[in-house]
Amino acid sequence: MGDERMKVRVGVDTGGTFTDFVYVAGGRARVFKVASTPDDPSRAIAGGLRRVAREAGVAPRDLEVVHGTTVGTNALLERKGARAALVTTRGFEDVLVIGRQARGSLYDLDWTRPAPLVADGLRFGVRERVAADGSVVEELEDEEVAALVRKLKRAGVESVAVCLLFSFAAPRHERKIERALKAGLGGVPLSVSHRILPEYREFERTSTVAINAYLQPLMGAYLGRLGAHVPARALRVMQSSGGSISARAAASEPVRTILSGPAGGVVGATRAAGEAGFADVITFDMGGTSTDVALCPAGRLRLTNEASVAGLPVAVPVLDIHTVGAGGGSIARVDAGGSLRVGPRSAGAVPGPACYGRSRLPTVTDANLVLGRFGGADLLGGDFKLDEGRAEEALASLARGMSEAGGREVSAVEAALGVVRVVNAGMERALRAVSVERGFDPRACTLVTFGGAGGLHAVELARALRVPRVVVPRQPGALSALGCLRADVVKSLSRTLMLEVGGGSEGRGDARAAASVGRAFREMEREARAALRREGFADARQRHTHTVAARYRGQSFELEVAWDGGRRIVERFHREHEARYGYAQTAGSVEVVSARLLSAGLVEELKEKRPRRTAAAVALAEPHRTAHVYFNEGAREAAVYRREDLRAGSRLRVPCVVTEYSSTTLVPAGARCATDAGGNLVIEL
Amino acid sequence: MKKGRGFDPTTLEIYRALYTSVAEEMGLTLRRTAHSPNIKERRDYSCAVFDAAGSVIAQGDHMPVHLGSMPMAVEAALGETNIGPGDVVVLNDPFAGGTHLPDVTLVSGVFLGKSDRKAGFYVANRAHHADIGGATPGSMGMASDVYGEGLRIPPVKLVVGGRVSGDVMRLLMANVRVERERRADFEAQVGSLKTGAARLLEIVARAGAREAAEYARHLIDYSARMMRATVRAIPDGVYEAVDALDSDGVTAGEVTLRVRVEVRGARARVDFEGSAPQVAGPVNAVEAITVSAVAYVFRCLVGAEEVPASAGLMEPIEVNAPSGTVVNAAHPAPVAGGNVETSQRIVDVLFKALSKALPARVPAASQGSMNNLTIGGTDPRTGREFAYYETVAGGMGARPSADGVSGVHTHMTNSLNTPAEALEYAYPLRVRAYSLRRGSGGRGLRRGGDGVVREIETLVPARMSLLADRRARAPYGLAGGADGAPGRDRVVRGGRASKLDAKGSRDLEPGDRVRIETPGGGGHGKE
Repeated sequence: MGDERMKVRVGVDTGGTFTDFVYVAGGRARVFKVASTPDDPSRAIAGGLRRVAREAGVAPRDLEVVHGTTVGTNALLERKGARAALVTTRGFEDVLVIGRQARGSLYDLDWTRPAPLVADGLRFGVRERVAADGSVVEELEDEEVAALVRKLKRAGVESVAVCLLFSFAAPRHERKIERALKAGLGGVPLSVSHRILPEYREFERTSTVAINAYLQPLMGAYLGRLGAHVPARALRVMQSSGGSISARAAASEPVRTILSGPAGGVVGATRAAGEAGFADVITFDMGGTSTDVALCPAGRLRLTNEASVAGLPVAVPVLDIHTVGAGGGSIARVDAGGSLRVGPRSAGAVPGPACYGRSRLPTVTDANLVLGRFGGADLLGGDFKLDEGRAEEALASLARGMSEAGGREVSAVEAALGVVRVVNAGMERALRAVSVERGFDPRACTLVTFGGAGGLHAVELARALRVPRVVVPRQPGALSALGCLRADVVKSLSRTLMLEVGGGSEGRGDARAAASVGRAFREMEREARAALRREGFADARQRHTHTVAARYRGQSFELEVAWDGGRRIVERFHREHEARYGYAQTAGSVEVVSARLLSAGLVEELKEKRPRRTAAAVALAEPHRTAHVYFNEGAREAAVYRREDLRAGSRLRVPCVVTEYSSTTLVPAGARCATDAGGNLVIEL
Repeated sequence: MKKGRGFDPTTLEIYRALYTSVAEEMGLTLRRTAHSPNIKERRDYSCAVFDAAGSVIAQGDHMPVHLGSMPMAVEAALGETNIGPGDVVVLNDPFAGGTHLPDVTLVSGVFLGKSDRKAGFYVANRAHHADIGGATPGSMGMASDVYGEGLRIPPVKLVVGGRVSGDVMRLLMANVRVERERRADFEAQVGSLKTGAARLLEIVARAGAREAAEYARHLIDYSARMMRATVRAIPDGVYEAVDALDSDGVTAGEVTLRVRVEVRGARARVDFEGSAPQVAGPVNAVEAITVSAVAYVFRCLVGAEEVPASAGLMEPIEVNAPSGTVVNAAHPAPVAGGNVETSQRIVDVLFKALSKALPARVPAASQGSMNNLTIGGTDPRTGREFAYYETVAGGMGARPSADGVSGVHTHMTNSLNTPAEALEYAYPLRVRAYSLRRGSGGRGLRRGGDGVVREIETLVPARMSLLADRRARAPYGLAGGADGAPGRDRVVRGGRASKLDAKGSRDLEPGDRVRIETPGGGGHGKE
């Protein structure tokens, strides 16, 4: 850290249409967008970074970049990854295909399983076996390894995943294979399961390392290209867990980045709410085809090890984001039984909702338009015109179908209200799933909304869940890039232990078990500390969070509980279980399945200084104009504000519509709406 | 405009999703808190919501075999007990609302007012317990009557006014293996009912009891309309087919299933007249199973649309399963396999008949078995008894437009496997192979899916039982496609394999490996 030159930190988020840039210069956060270059996203980034350097008056090599990327996600969704091989314990070569042996849809005769990432003929079994207690049942012989190397050479693969049974209990055999492949395959990237995910359940672990191997060559090449514009040590990549990792780590473990973009949004929203003075947050990101919601209690990001992407399990820590297949473009229809369905089919951007002028499909966006909820404005600051007549036709046709089915006359406006009610009901279930069903009370939370369509639905949803407040952050369109800028550097390590820690009738081994857990944490922490130091974080700027995945002996699902050295772990687990499931088995014994360490290198706060929380807003803002808007309680004349006209600390008249470049916010009567000192829109219910 | 229904399509949609989510949430609680791997890892359970009259409104997409049979459990519970606030009724009697003994159902009422004596809704869940007593660990062995299969529980109150009945619990626990696990599973089931009741009360608090009940009724009508539209799309006519189980496991010879489907407009009659009389071995299905299998087949024809599995689904369909036959067995017939094997054959024979009506829609036969394997003994690490139960996936039949999927559960089950790494932590067993059985799918323009090879070694002396079928008669191909390969089963001891009966029990020595090769699916169309 001997470098004295001024560094400028830049958050970069690649989206489908735009690549967003956020950086801090002269004490202010600056934001801009450039058109994305989907064939090679690094081109748009290079251009944007030159602009940042120019504007900030520094050399390009003085930029520090944190990048939210969709390269991994897209390769996985479009199946454009590498020709990868998989090495398993003999007899388990097909675990990747069979998965959990269940079909994805019970009654769908046409259901088909996606093809495995590693093709038939590229999955190789080796004769070896480790038992659950880590003892070796069958040695991995040298000849076996030599034969494997020969086979892999012949197969001409671009990358290799290795996942042997119980390797987390005894990694000796995996290491032996790793050494041989390093020596014999000349630099082909390796994904070895005990390094990436030393946790039990072979299918989920195999799937995770297979995804990693599938993405490695691509991600390596991409980050290499980007390296031409940013020095490798100054380039970091956003992980799915909400923390960033070095470009080198991202290139070797790309599976950790597959939800990079959405993670940036959640981090950005949480930080923005935190600065506005609200710690318990539910994020709500409603786009065209899907909606993401996530709970962040006390400003903390919640992680899950049970995520899946493109139908494939990913067992490394991922932000616990709940996705609903409904958004602004979701198509409404009346089904054969007379029920009003919204989604999962979406009109997408092409042909788009009826009001885009290319289709006659009634969508959620059309419903909002018919209800006047865009406040008479067009989208993208007027660049994108909406065809109101077409939207009305589409909703009128839907209304005829509803009248016919239900035997009651339904108007186009009623149909539009119906579409919004149905889509909101789906969102409400998602919000409940991340809060109430996980033992958190939404009445203590703030709903932070971003994404194009979120603001039109957020206040109604908050009312339904009795969430007292909605915050629309400043520059909601650049929140993901902002999140990248502000994400801590995070390493997550874990280890499956399977130890009984106490409770039940026995409980003598407790101290010994606690000592083992403690030892595992110390070892992991030593590794993480050294790694963070190498990345320039002194011990004072490191934070290490210890949690254990615990369960009652006999259960199969774990709850994450903070580890405090083991003294009250059993008690705390009972409480957690009670909160989540409504009862505790106080007679049951508690088992620590895994020790999980989350190590963060704390990124400095933004230099931008603002009061933490607004005083009572005084100035009443003058609306740009008024518009006729249908609310649930009936039609009202609503004030229409342009977001860019609103000064910090203004009070808004309600009901109102607040329009801005990439989103619209609807505030019904009865709510209080103001901008705070930081420019966030705060709606109190 | 059609007359007389009078509902709001928006509100209907909201209740459809709402009631379904209640059932799903009940399932989530059950799965996450149960102790049997069978429930928590394999998800062999179902949860459902019923209206005040005991008609099913919604059921989670859990186990198809429970689809049409849960309502009979609630009917039996309501008929034989008086469910008051805080009561939970338990039952598994195949001849009074149950299916086979390991499937234990819990039912409770949801009382909307503090002083209400009559429930506004009922909630129920059914879970397959890893053991419910009887001669063999896992309660899935070869018995000659239901008494030998395990403990039969008529509808009785397990919880009275919020307190667990100590007497009933003691009686249950005295008759099952692995008492701790059973007790924890019952707790999880009770917890799941509480979750369901709490969610229903929230709905009522928000919308009012009248609207909630009114739309429960509309949902039942809705499912009926969806099914009528489906049946109407089947050409009118009479469609017949015959298929068979290899044996009943006790006496030699096939067990014939015969079906005659008559479609007239929006109604269908499914008649099993001519099927074999009930048999000595445990492949008898009670009527609830047969209705479930019929409901499953017709539900598949509705398509991928999310239609609640409500009472209305079967309204346009009449089922005739003559009493005293293998599709409507009478007391005291043994029934362990009716659920898991005969149900699959009922699906096969029904699809075979319907393939004549809908040749472009109906798939060739899938593996047609669940390959039920149970291994039990004493775990030297704990000194306690263990009973491990699993079912093994196989090949899916080819579809007219696509190959069948390999190594997957089909039709009446969708339970997950137990990961080898989870299984070996919990039991003194070692999984030696879990792979696709290549070439076992039937050839054809569209290929049948391949079956699975599963090999499990026991590390201790143990007793195993297998209950499987399609070992002689192969899963059929359609439209010129070849049949799938029948399954085969072996015990490997010291490198030597010996044949294992598809239905039977055997003692195992440490080091013995049970090797199950499951059937492939039938092919479709000439190659």
